[in-house]
Amino acid sequence: MSQTILIKQQWTPKTFLRSQITGGKKKGRAAGGWIADLAASKRVITLCPPCTPKFNPARVGYRKEKEFPTCHAVCDGCSVMDQYCSMYIYEELYSTVRSTADERRALAKSREQRIKRGYL
Amino acid sequence: MQYAGCIGGGSPMIVRFKVSATGMTPGVIACSAPDGATGEMIVTATTATANQVGTLLDAADSRTGETLTYSTTQGAAEAIYSVIINPDQLIRGLMVTGATGTAITGDTIVTAASNGLTTVGGTSVASPDMDQGMVWYTSGANVGRSRKIVSTSSVTATVVVPFAANAVGDTFQYAGICKGLQGITLTTDVQKFRADIAVATGVNVTTVNMEMNGTTDSYATVVLTDSVFQQTT
Repeated sequence: MSQTILIKQQWTPKTFLRSQITGGKKKGRAAGGWIADLAASKRVITLCPPCTPKFNPARVGYRKEKEFPTCHAVCDGCSVMDQYCSMYIYEELYSTVRSTADERRALAKSREQRIKRGYL
Repeated sequence: MQYAGCIGGGSPMIVRFKVSATGMTPGVIACSAPDGATGEMIVTATTATANQVGTLLDAADSRTGETLTYSTTQGAAEAIYSVIINPDQLIRGLMVTGATGTAITGDTIVTAASNGLTTVGGTSVASPDMDQGMVWYTSGANVGRSRKIVSTSSVTATVVVPFAANAVGDTFQYAGICKGLQGITLTTDVQKFRADIAVATGVNVTTVNMEMNGTTDSYATVVLTDSVFQQTT
């Protein structure tokens, strides 16, 4: 049986300052506040399975990506790269950046009906 | 443009990149920034692109004071945006005419062809050359049917696999886009595919699928062919 060893991160002044200049969540920043900032700026939010239940997408106008149940990304909650993240897209931007099978199916159905009427 | 999945069917990989140029709007193809650039990615040009990163997903919003581009102001928030980076991703875009992206030009048959081998319309298909592109009917006996164009001359497009006989007044559309061919020119906002440009010119994408409908709802789906995650060019 494998064992997991947790090693505490030793922050030096240099590494702390470096963490402040990189994009993403800053050291010591609460995940909730960081995600609220992402939501306010309409960014895509990615959350790993343990963090997903803590986020209510509907409350901030987000839509969960369901056609692809998972994505490979860094979790915005715990900053861990996870290949089973959930992806949330701002509702108003969804059709701008995503093409779904449902949308294409509706277009194909519309095409069939128009061909039956004789004009595409 | 829209992310429509991957050729391999896998899940998308999303990575945040530092911005190094303006024009970062959701749906554009992002490219790796060149040497000396301030950040990690730029936006594709309309006619050429190299070292593609993927499809940009994020929008900017002034509510948090963040900007679309990089800032050289000390202490300013860093502009970072999410990108789907899968090299085999499928990108779907509307086919349009013109640099600003208006509806595809619909044309009308002015000389009937009983053998179904030619479409003779009112606008030139030879300049820009639609040879190797697609032609499809939007009304008449051939409504909904499409063929690959094998040669063009003035307002006449010729096909090898014949349509049914067409008639004067039948409407049709054409596009300088065809499955399996690389190169599509984008509109000025780099969000749509121009169907009125000659085949195989433009950014490095290869057409995977075409949805040939009316003038305002015809789409092409492409795959990146100069992804920086496969080979840096």
